[in-house]
Parts: sequence; structure tokens; C-alpha cells
Amino acid sequence: MRRAKALSMGDAPFIFNKRTSASLIWGTAAVLLPSLAWGIYCFGASAAMPVAASISGALAGEAVASGLRRRFTLWDGSAFLTGLLVGMAMPAGIPLFIPAIASVFAVSVVKGAFGGLGSNWMNPALAGIVFAFLNWPGEMSAWTMPHRLAGLAGVSGATPLGFARSHAGVAFAGSDPAAILGAGGMRFSGFDASVTEALNRLFFAPLGAELPNGYIDLLVGNKSGSLGELSAVLILAGSIVLISRKMIRWEIPASIVSTFAVLTWAFGGLPLGKGFFDGDVLFSVLGGSFLIVSFFMAPDPVTSPSSRAGMLVYGIGIGALAFLLRYFGSSAEGIAFAVVIMNCAVPMIAKLDVVAFRRRAFKSAGTTY
Amino acid sequence: MRSSRTFRHGGIRIEAGLDWERRGPVQNAFLPNGAVILLKQHAGPQARCVVRRGEYVREGMVIGRADGPLSANVHSSIPGVVRDIRVAALPEGGHAEAVVVALEGSFDRLGRKGERYLWESMGRTEILTTLKDRGVVDTEAPGMPLFDLLGDRREVGLLVVNAVESEPYLRAETSLLEDKGAEVMEGLAILRDVLSPKRTVIAANRPLAPAWPGSSEEGTVEYVFLEARYPQDMPRQLLEAIDESRKRPESDAIILRPSTAFAVYEAIVLAKPMVERYVSVGGGAIKRPAVLKARIGTPIGDLIEECGGFRGPPARLVLRGTLRGESVHDLDTPITKITSAVIALDSNEIGSLSKTPCIRCGRCSEVCPECLDPDLLFRLIEHGLRGRAMELGLDECTVCGSCGYICPSRVPLVSAFSSEKAIAALSPPPIDAPARGESNR
Repeated sequence: MRRAKALSMGDAPFIFNKRTSASLIWGTAAVLLPSLAWGIYCFGASAAMPVAASISGALAGEAVASGLRRRFTLWDGSAFLTGLLVGMAMPAGIPLFIPAIASVFAVSVVKGAFGGLGSNWMNPALAGIVFAFLNWPGEMSAWTMPHRLAGLAGVSGATPLGFARSHAGVAFAGSDPAAILGAGGMRFSGFDASVTEALNRLFFAPLGAELPNGYIDLLVGNKSGSLGELSAVLILAGSIVLISRKMIRWEIPASIVSTFAVLTWAFGGLPLGKGFFDGDVLFSVLGGSFLIVSFFMAPDPVTSPSSRAGMLVYGIGIGALAFLLRYFGSSAEGIAFAVVIMNCAVPMIAKLDVVAFRRRAFKSAGTTY
Repeated sequence: MRSSRTFRHGGIRIEAGLDWERRGPVQNAFLPNGAVILLKQHAGPQARCVVRRGEYVREGMVIGRADGPLSANVHSSIPGVVRDIRVAALPEGGHAEAVVVALEGSFDRLGRKGERYLWESMGRTEILTTLKDRGVVDTEAPGMPLFDLLGDRREVGLLVVNAVESEPYLRAETSLLEDKGAEVMEGLAILRDVLSPKRTVIAANRPLAPAWPGSSEEGTVEYVFLEARYPQDMPRQLLEAIDESRKRPESDAIILRPSTAFAVYEAIVLAKPMVERYVSVGGGAIKRPAVLKARIGTPIGDLIEECGGFRGPPARLVLRGTLRGESVHDLDTPITKITSAVIALDSNEIGSLSKTPCIRCGRCSEVCPECLDPDLLFRLIEHGLRGRAMELGLDECTVCGSCGYICPSRVPLVSAFSSEKAIAALSPPPIDAPARGESNR
């Protein structure tokens, strides 16, 4: 009998798509790196420390959990990505034990305790971030201004979002968020001033409009805030990679952003003493961690629905909750809580989905589903 | 001629290995020194052996007689001496008897150009019994004997000659259509005579040359060009793409491969039993991929050698197709009437096989051409809830392998489905183990 050596046997199929779960997860981490690099450039090398602490915590937590499960899972990248996302949500000068503990909690309790990758029902990174927010609200809000903007390291300053929120309705009722920032003494970079001036001269003036100062800083990331939320441009560039390479489904971020934008436009002006349909969509979408959460955490396949209809329900739910929490909740950062709440609803969405959208399956399944 | 059409739901696009340059017409493979002729190359029970060890057999002589319904005659593909009659493993699983014939003597029958039989005067029954005598089976797995497949079918709505090859490295059907167009068309004419279909369609995923012999018959036979998206060649997807109205029940159509039509031509017109077939030999580990006309019973190793041997160490040997076929490890595995391809994959083509936990990405339900949710079905099976899985469509799964191909976690979806379906086919509907709550997603 002639046998070819070392042939693997088994059932069809015998060829596979090149993409593996590990390559998806490591790929997502790689897409975050430009944002991280920009953050470190803005805040200085010391800003890398919370991220390093967070990743170490996550890897340590995963190592322990994988030891308990007797299955080595460090290389699937999921712990690394969780650590990276937690670290990038932290203020630059935070005490290092906070990101470390948040990551250990995320990886070992939120993910590991439920059976590891694929079995958790809440996004571990977001759960870790929310955990840190609830336990150390002071430290988690001690934002520092970027080097390049403040000229001085360690000068503390509110995020534009928090700043606008705390000053709104007090003395500047009826004005735009950016106007509040300016009047409240928030500083803009020279870059913002010159680009805004140029844009106004070239595009907006002929149209009879004017772009206030501050938006360009929001867009490119010349502002205080966490490493991850710093540059909307880099996050959006990353989102293009994620969607075009089909690493995430576009339905989730699209429904989150559009729901949130429409609600902000319709009702976002009210807390500022303005009327309906006068909210500042651009400011709301660009500010805070809205974009990084919408594109990098909410579409996490493990904790989001897998059918298109389910994704839309999930995304609309997140967008609406994020709006409510940001404008009427206790913290300016509503989006993280919104996603965690909708994570809890995913099994229910999946169940409804089987009933409502898979008629074929439903017909033969009787009434139990 | 219509532009390329396809089916609606799901499916996968596989780029690698779908197309390769074919050099010249299909060559006859060398005759094997010893042919291992399995007595089960068809759907039903194995044929009854009618030769003894040491007996001289002529080429085309019956060595196995059909034994009951769905069984088919088996003929010796080469002249020689029966060296052994032994039990051999079937590539698709299970065992059957095999007759080992050592090449000897001369080709007294099939080597010569025979008289062309004028079949037009034959009756329907005569044609069918002749097909039965000559051991003609459908060349697509599981190899239904044509006598059984067509016996009780008259005036079918649609007859499809399915030359669509949407799995990588398959090329035998297209090559046959290209090289033996006139013969395939004549086989088709015989089939039309038997079935009197209302509509006859040739479906292919490569355009045929304008000089193709069948082109003149436009009017009675339609040509439809379909995308090579997988699984375009499976019955439901094929009919969906051909039949815009989508109202025809699958049972009103008969789908056959060009190689089946060619076997019908040879059996009726040339009075030749089914002892040869076209085989694609390909894959990343094969030096010179080719389509060969090989005798039934030729060891696959001989064909691989004829294609220049292995380019590098093969990681996997596959018969019939990379998505629906079987893996084998024995280079002496013989070609049967349904072995359309021999594929040797290298390790690069296989890629990572390590299983990781399901991340619920939903790609499996996205690509499922039957609109099922493979992830959900797999979980139900894992929890012993086969009955619920059946209710949710497991019985509609065609085991096409799309979900298994796309799964980034390499969850063994397809093996689970095929074994569950096999069990379900054997046993009455199971009583589910008590459900662990209603919360199984």
C-alpha cells in the first residue's frame, strides 16, 4: 500500500477562508495602533504607561484564567485587545493600578468567569471601563491637556464634552457648545485657528455660514481626553479599514451613529436652552469616546446580534440610550453604559429575531421560539 | 445566450484554483497494471461478484451483477486475470468487495472503432435496460443507476445538463463539454427521448466556443451561463438560477452531469459499458494539473504520477471536491464511476486547522444558501437537542460546506450536521433530552 506521509484526514470542507478568529482580533488591535501612537505623541511617552499597565493586567488575567481552564488562549489576541481598549479609555495621568485592575476584572470576571472568549455576554473592555468609572470616578475624570496644546505637561483640564456640559445652562444658555468652550476659557490650538480661518474663507463664507473655532481640534485630536478618544480622524480611518475588510459589520456602527445624530439634532439643543432641531450633531459625535466605542467595541461579534435585523435593533438601542445618558444622565460619557446595557439585551434580540425574521424557521418551529 | 446569473441567498466566492490553463485536449491516462474495481460504485447495495480468482476477464466484461434496486452492473475496465477478490475501504466510508485485475492480453473490443448504433429506433424500455446492462450510473454522488433514476420518470418539466463546477480545481465536466460536445449532445438527445422534457437546459460557468457542436441546436436546448459562486452546482441553487419563476418543484426536474450524458452516449451508441471517466487532477501540491480520461479502477497514485507527481509534500488528498468530497490517505484508492476529481492540497491551501471558540460573528448564517443559522443548529446539536435542530431546518441542510469554509473559528459545523443527518435518516424522530431552560439562545 502506498501512502503519502503525514496526510491529515477528516471531513469536508478541506479548504477554508484564510481569515481566522485570531487574525480578526489581532487585526482590530493593529487598526487601533495609529490612534495610540497619536495619543502618545500628544501626551508624551508617559501616556503609554496606563496602556502598558492595562495590557499587562489583561494578559495576566488571561494567563490565570487559561491556566484554570487548562487551555492556552493567550495567542488568540482577545486579552491583548481588551487590555488595549481599556488602556486607551484612561486619562493619561491616571494611577497605574486603576487600568491594571480594570483589565484584570474585564478579562477574568467578565470574560473568563463565563467561559472565556465567545461565551461572555458583555463586552469585557467596556465592562472594565465602566468598572473603573464607577469605582474611581474622580481619577477617571482627571483629564490632562495634551503637551502640545497646553505647552505644559500635567495641566489638567476638562474634556470638551465635560466642559460644555458643566458650563451649559449656567451662564451661556442659548449658545453653541463651541461658543461655550470659547467663552469659558477653553483654549484652541493655533492649528485649529488657522485651518478654521482658511475653511471659513474658502468654503463657508461663500455659503453664508461660519465654522466656529474648536471643531478642527476635535476632529484631529488636539484636545484633552483619553488616548483612544483623542483623534476622531484616526478612529474614522480605522473604521474604514474595519468595514472595508469586513472585520466588522457596518450595520451596527451605522445605526448607532445615525440614531444618535438624529436624536441629537432633534433634541440636543434643549438642554442648552435652544429649540427643537437645533442640536450640535458634529460636536456630539466627535466629542468623547463615542466613535471608538461605536466602531471598536459595540460591534464586538461575541456580544452583538449576528443577524442584520438584530444588529439594527441593537444599534438603534445603543444610539438612543447613548443620547439619553449623555444629555440627561449623570455622566457625560453615556455611550459606554449604553453599549453595556444593550449587551444584556442581545440574547433577547436573538430570540425575537428567530421568531420575527426567520419565518422559514419559525413556521416549522411551532410556537416555542 | 444569457448573461451570467446566480442564486439569491448566501454562497461563497472562492478565488483560488477555480481556473487553470488547460493544455490541449484531454489525454487518455496510461492503463493501470492492476485495476482495483470496486463492486460498489453506486448508491445501492454492492454488485454480486460473478468472477473467480484466476479467471481471465475481457475488457468490458461483467464482473459484478446488479443486486437489487439501486445496484448497478460493474464491468472490467481492462483485460486481464483476476488476481484477487478482497474487501476494500470505500472512499466515502464503509467497505465493499473489490476485484483486482492484472493487465494481460489484448484489447479485443473497446480498442477498435465500433459500429455506430442507430438508437433512434430503440424504444424507451429498451434504452433503459441497455443502460442498466452497461452499468450506467449518474456520475454525481451517490451514483444513482440511471435505470432507477429515470425508470419511472416521463415528461419531466426540466432536464438540466449541469456543467457548473463551482468548487476549486474541478474541470472534468467543462472539459468534456468542450472536447466531446457532439457526443454529449447525442447522449442528451437519447435522454430527451427517454424523458421527453418540456425544457432542456445546459448550464455552465464557462462560456462555450461558438463552434461548439450543440450551438446549432438552439431552440430545443437552451444555454445558461451561471456565476461560479459556490454552491451554484447544487440542485436548489441551480434551479433557482435557471428558473426565474422559482415555481417549479425540485421533483419536476432532472439534473445530470455532462459525463452522465456522455456515458449514455457511449453505452447506447457505441455499446460500451461504463469503464472510463474524466477525472480532474489538481490542487496546489500537483505539479501539472490536468484532466485525464482514466479507466475505472486506476489507482489515484498513478494519475498523480502522470501529472508530474507532487510539487511538494501534500497535506491532504481529496476525492471529488474540496467542499463536498472525501479525504483519503491511500494512493492506491481506485477511481470509481463517481470520482470526478483527485485533488492534492498543500499545507498553505489548508491553512490553520486549529479550532478556537465560536465568536458568534454570524458569517455562517450569512453564507448559508438555505437560509439556516448553522451556529444555532450546532449549539442545539451540542446540547443533544436534535429534534429542535430538525425543526429549525437541519433537514434542509444540504451539507454544502459553505459555513465550514467561512468559519474563522473552524468550528466543526459540517461534520456535526452530516453525522446528525445520517443518524436522523436511520432512526425515528428523537425525543429531546429535557431542554436546559428555554435559554439555548
